[in-house]
Amino acid sequence: MSTGARTYPPAHEPLISGDKTLKQITEDVCAPIERRPTWLWWVGFLASFCALVLGIAAVSYQVATGIGTWGLNRTVGWAFDITNFVFWIGIGHAGTLISAILFLFRQKWRTSINRSAEAMTIFAVMCAGVFPLIHMGRPWLAYWVLPYPNYRGPLWVNFRSPLLWDVFAISTYFTISAVFWFLGLVPDLATLRDRATTKIRKFLFGLFSLGWDGSNRTWMRYETVYLLLAGLATPLVLSVHTIVSFDFATSVIPGWHTTIFPPYFVAGAIFSGFGMVLTLMLVTRKVLRFEDYITIGHIEAMCKIIIATGSIVGLAYGTEFFMAWYSANEYERFVFFNRALGPFAWAYWTMVLCNVITPQLLWFKKIRTNPGIVFVLSLVVNVGMWFERFVIIVTSLHRDYLPSSWADYSPTLVEVSTLVGSFGLFFTCFFLFARFLPMIAMGEIKGVVGYTERTTNVHE
Amino acid sequence: MPGNDRKSLEERDGDPDFLRGPEDEFPEVPATEGGRTGFSRRSFLKAAGFATAGALMGCKPAPLKKAIPYLIPAEEITPGRAYWYASMCGACPAGCGILIKNRDGRPIKLEGNPAHPLARGGLCVVGQAAVLGLYDSQRLKAPVSGGKESSWPAVDEAIRGRLKKIRASRGKVRFLTGTITSPTARRMISSFMASFADGKQVVYDALSASAILDAHEASHGARVLPRYLFDRADCIVSFDADFLGTWISPVEYTAGYTAKRALPALSHHTQIESRLSLTGSNADKRIRVGPSDIGLVLAHLARRLAEDAGSPLSFRTLPPLPIDTGALNEMIERLLSNRGKSLVVSGLNDVDAQRLVNLVNHILGNYGTTLDVKRPSYQKQGNDRDLYALLDDMESGEVAGIFLHGVNPVYDLPDGTRFAAAMKKVGLVVGFAERSDETASLAHHICPEHHFLESWSDAEPVAGILTITQPAIRPLGGTRSLMESISAWMGTPKADYDLLREAWRSSVFTRQTLERSYQAFWDKTVHDGYAMVGATPVGTHPFSSSVMKGVPGPRPAEWTLVLYAKIGLLDGRHAHNPWLQELPDPISKITWDNYVNVSPATAARFGISDGDVLRIAAGSVAVELPAHVQPGQHDAVASIALGYGRKGTDRFANVGPQWLEGRPTVPEGGLVGKNAAPFRGFDGRSIQDWKPGVTVTRTGRRYDLASAQTYHSLSVPERMRGANPEPRPIVQEATLDAFLKNPAAGATRGEDPASLWPEDHKYTGARWGMAIDLSACTGCGACVVACQAENNVPVVGKDEVRRRREMHWIRIDRYYAERGNGDVGVVFQPVMCHQCGNAPCETVCPVLATVHSSEGLNQQVYNRCVGTRYCANNCPYKVRRFNWFDYPHEDKLQNMVLNPDVTIRSRGIMEKCTFCVQRIQEAKAEARRQGRTLMDGDVQPACMQSCPAKAIAFGNANDPESTVSKRKRDPRWYRVLAELNVDPSVGYLRVIRNREEG
Repeated sequence: MSTGARTYPPAHEPLISGDKTLKQITEDVCAPIERRPTWLWWVGFLASFCALVLGIAAVSYQVATGIGTWGLNRTVGWAFDITNFVFWIGIGHAGTLISAILFLFRQKWRTSINRSAEAMTIFAVMCAGVFPLIHMGRPWLAYWVLPYPNYRGPLWVNFRSPLLWDVFAISTYFTISAVFWFLGLVPDLATLRDRATTKIRKFLFGLFSLGWDGSNRTWMRYETVYLLLAGLATPLVLSVHTIVSFDFATSVIPGWHTTIFPPYFVAGAIFSGFGMVLTLMLVTRKVLRFEDYITIGHIEAMCKIIIATGSIVGLAYGTEFFMAWYSANEYERFVFFNRALGPFAWAYWTMVLCNVITPQLLWFKKIRTNPGIVFVLSLVVNVGMWFERFVIIVTSLHRDYLPSSWADYSPTLVEVSTLVGSFGLFFTCFFLFARFLPMIAMGEIKGVVGYTERTTNVHE
Repeated sequence: MPGNDRKSLEERDGDPDFLRGPEDEFPEVPATEGGRTGFSRRSFLKAAGFATAGALMGCKPAPLKKAIPYLIPAEEITPGRAYWYASMCGACPAGCGILIKNRDGRPIKLEGNPAHPLARGGLCVVGQAAVLGLYDSQRLKAPVSGGKESSWPAVDEAIRGRLKKIRASRGKVRFLTGTITSPTARRMISSFMASFADGKQVVYDALSASAILDAHEASHGARVLPRYLFDRADCIVSFDADFLGTWISPVEYTAGYTAKRALPALSHHTQIESRLSLTGSNADKRIRVGPSDIGLVLAHLARRLAEDAGSPLSFRTLPPLPIDTGALNEMIERLLSNRGKSLVVSGLNDVDAQRLVNLVNHILGNYGTTLDVKRPSYQKQGNDRDLYALLDDMESGEVAGIFLHGVNPVYDLPDGTRFAAAMKKVGLVVGFAERSDETASLAHHICPEHHFLESWSDAEPVAGILTITQPAIRPLGGTRSLMESISAWMGTPKADYDLLREAWRSSVFTRQTLERSYQAFWDKTVHDGYAMVGATPVGTHPFSSSVMKGVPGPRPAEWTLVLYAKIGLLDGRHAHNPWLQELPDPISKITWDNYVNVSPATAARFGISDGDVLRIAAGSVAVELPAHVQPGQHDAVASIALGYGRKGTDRFANVGPQWLEGRPTVPEGGLVGKNAAPFRGFDGRSIQDWKPGVTVTRTGRRYDLASAQTYHSLSVPERMRGANPEPRPIVQEATLDAFLKNPAAGATRGEDPASLWPEDHKYTGARWGMAIDLSACTGCGACVVACQAENNVPVVGKDEVRRRREMHWIRIDRYYAERGNGDVGVVFQPVMCHQCGNAPCETVCPVLATVHSSEGLNQQVYNRCVGTRYCANNCPYKVRRFNWFDYPHEDKLQNMVLNPDVTIRSRGIMEKCTFCVQRIQEAKAEARRQGRTLMDGDVQPACMQSCPAKAIAFGNANDPESTVSKRKRDPRWYRVLAELNVDPSVGYLRVIRNREEG
């Protein structure tokens, strides 16, 4: 490692630009935590917090009064609730992919973004986890989905129900992600502890850094655990959204009952997740002046993943359409006609425009390397992916087998406020994270920064 | 310690307590009191014991709810068991026999009496909902005098005093009633009226059949309504008579009609009408004409038949036939080939038209077979001319006293305000209404009558068939029956039970010869619910076709307004019943409102869409109502339902759940719907329900109608039909010809025999199944209200229905099929939980709140449901109902109608049809108690029991002799969405219509 020779592999640009020394990295990353928050942070945080309060009010009203405060009816039993759930879970997948899969693939460029991405995953899963709770008619009995021993039989849960698989999948996902993220944070928290100037900071960072002493033995154990957790988290990227897609795929409703959902949903999840990562990172790098760490190269790499997964999603749309026609099943065929030409055609075409057409712009390097355009495209991707879940859920339900049950759906204020509130929760958590925790994994990024003579001196 | 470098702080400082430690390593047992630990084991146990005792002492026992046991239990009453009493439904004058289900001393359900010769076990929507009317908290509980609550002695004194004055001045007294079929009551009224110098009973029906009676007076010399025997008619031609829905006695007629629809000998039914009625939607052939042309077609028919019979009529020339001549020829041919077995009826309230009907029936030889005037019906006795003569008398101040029973003329007459003004000129106005309605509120005294479930009475709806009405509960308020009131004012107050017994002993018992003892006869009648007695044939003279006038020719008009009655509200008498208000109208599926129906062609022409508020005006009368596009309606007709805009219906403003974006059921300051009665007319002889030459204008406003079904075709929308040209095979139809050639005609695809599911659930005991004959189902909706009554289904209010959240467990889907020329085919399909063998709902519930029983039922466990709604999403039939809110159950009196055998569901819980599992369990327990096996017909779910057409069959599919199994073997049997392999337990028999292909 410390040969002093330049060890850039050929054809690679430096992962971190600006010839940073290790000390500079520490300073850059810890700076936002150690200075007073800027007015930009306050604006963002307060806006998110207001949204969160609105959401809490809406949810409280809904839990106290009934699911009737939403726009659902006996034909459309799920709409915003499960759309939001799948949306948020999908977003989380990018973080895990960056943290775990890219780690196993030894993609060293992940180190600039993996901390934030993993934090995004945690917050997204938290937002997602709210919805299965509140979408229940009797959420105070939500614990009945847990298989706990009891004297009523014993009465177990229905292991054949996809909703139950969700319970296991989401809780596993949250647990693993949280543990992975936290353990990854420990060395950086130790750095902050060592640099702490106030008593509270010293205490808290000290507590959470678990007595990290930076010794060789500790680092070795850390790396081993990290590898193991990465290995555990990797299958989650594929399995969690597969399970979520089973919520629909195992039903009998045309438009839901299709085996393409697992790969389609996983691809879509990664697609939307990277969209959100880009949204967050493009703002972060500008505001916190992290351009040297989250370089255009990183942005380009993420755009390539977006276009790959976006193309898979587009292919899946085409496959669904083809199979509906090929099946000659009148109900299946009608679902797709109805999506494109029926009352929710506006949502369908928004989805196609945002998910299939606009990401094709990323084929062009000029666009891929322009942070402004990529930012707009990342927002478009997320809008499109929200609409994809909305279209899948609502258009399949609202006109299914018996025409007498065909009904319309429109959201109520409470539902929209709940969606806004979930964004509020997400961004509140993210702003707090940006304020108090290191957004870039210092420990990891120091391992991949360019190897020049200067960098061998750690204490500079 | 030596040899150990590490010292604790205490050791370093020489803390005495610490230094003592090593010597006291094993403290002796018991621990010293208040020692180092400060709290010994013994102290702990003492404290715990005292604490527990103290806690228990402080606990109060569970609060004792007032439970007063019978000191001497009633002999035949076992709490928790239902007791059944035979009686008669009083919700309309048709007089269907019922059985009242009594629990703990109060009626909770009405069912048709299967032994009753008229209704034969069926009961219509109005009858099923009548039990709720008993528990109406707005019913008057005491007599009202001058707007203030009074007492019976005070009111009686006032009335008697007034009557004395009237007798002294020999003033006119009138008793204005609706049709009263009770011979005892009629006798009492007539003797009461006879005690005055000029006293008379005037009868009028809001839904008038006065013209039929007048026509028979002219043609047969007796002013009677014939008894129509549809079960003897192989060919029925109806000129705007909604005999399956709202005309005279729909349950009786449906039962008869269905009896003749048994394949392969299907009767033929032609309907000529201007708007789509329930009867028209079931007809084999439906001819759509303008309202004034109905009579014209009838006139042409009569003229042709008369010519044919050799005694042509003396009409002036008739206007040309407004329909295809071929259609008329076909009709004539069919009628002639069914002489004596045909029936021509008309709902037109026009004496000339009805005389033509009589002529046609006479020529066809139907009198004596399908029509009986010798043993007539008494179900309509109104005389519109007498009513208007009374109105004239009242206006000229000649009437000194008037009694109003069972009528609401201020509301349902076209000149209701005229009647209200005339009432002021009458010295004594006494009403008997159960609430201070439009008319009764203007009376001097209201003497509220018992509800029919609280009173003793009798009825002779049809000559020779007598029924006794017996009470199933003591009167809830301080009401008094009509007969008791009259007897009080006649000076000889008697209980209605005694009056009835006396009357029966003298007048009814003598008409029969089967029973020797009067008491035995009485007991048998009360037990059975009916008695067949002799009836003196009505004296008629041979048919006289003297001076028959032609019907008035068509009056060309851009718009003609037609007024009609809805099956739930009829003339508005049940507007205070929330079950009936929330019942989706069988044709339009709209709830809680009336509206203006316009045909699709007219709507397209004028750019009217559903919900556009239109203003209908004729002279000084105008009303603004939302439009509804009604397929099958004549293009020049706008139709509005009667029975709405009743006073006091603003009570339903907040009948649904109250929340942020919820809208009230009744608009601000308004009522449920608008009263269309001012548009009715009187042509000098009878009340007319249609008005030509109205103006229809758009107001530009919009009003959301609450409809339970918003898509009405089995075919997908036009522009999406590319890959789906065929209608969905949900309701399968075939013509009679095709059926006779191939009994499985109309089948779209066979059931898939192969299944991946292993046969690991064998139903060794019973397997409950249902088979619904779609040819028999008329779409009346009786099953819907019966289910609501039996299973405590909540009322949700208009806004919730508009949001498609109505709670009915069974619904009747109605689909239109365009036939060109504005003609439309209609099919009905009752849909409830199909209790699938491979239920898609069962696999997806995370908490196992829906499971399968060993008898094939899909069980919904209310207590376990957390409300994720995946089961409802996964149900392909969309039969599951979710409790979106806590629906109000604040009205304690109304809660008395709840069935104690069925749980009330709270918010957040899914519910659905259970095949009336409480009835299944009850029947099984009863069979076990009697030591026998369950037989077919022991278990009758509420829907099946109530159907007047016996369309629903329920039973054990494992029993090859059960009706269900027999229907399963019928080639017409099919299941909806069977190809999904959900194995539904409900099957349907295809609709067979007696019409040509196409």
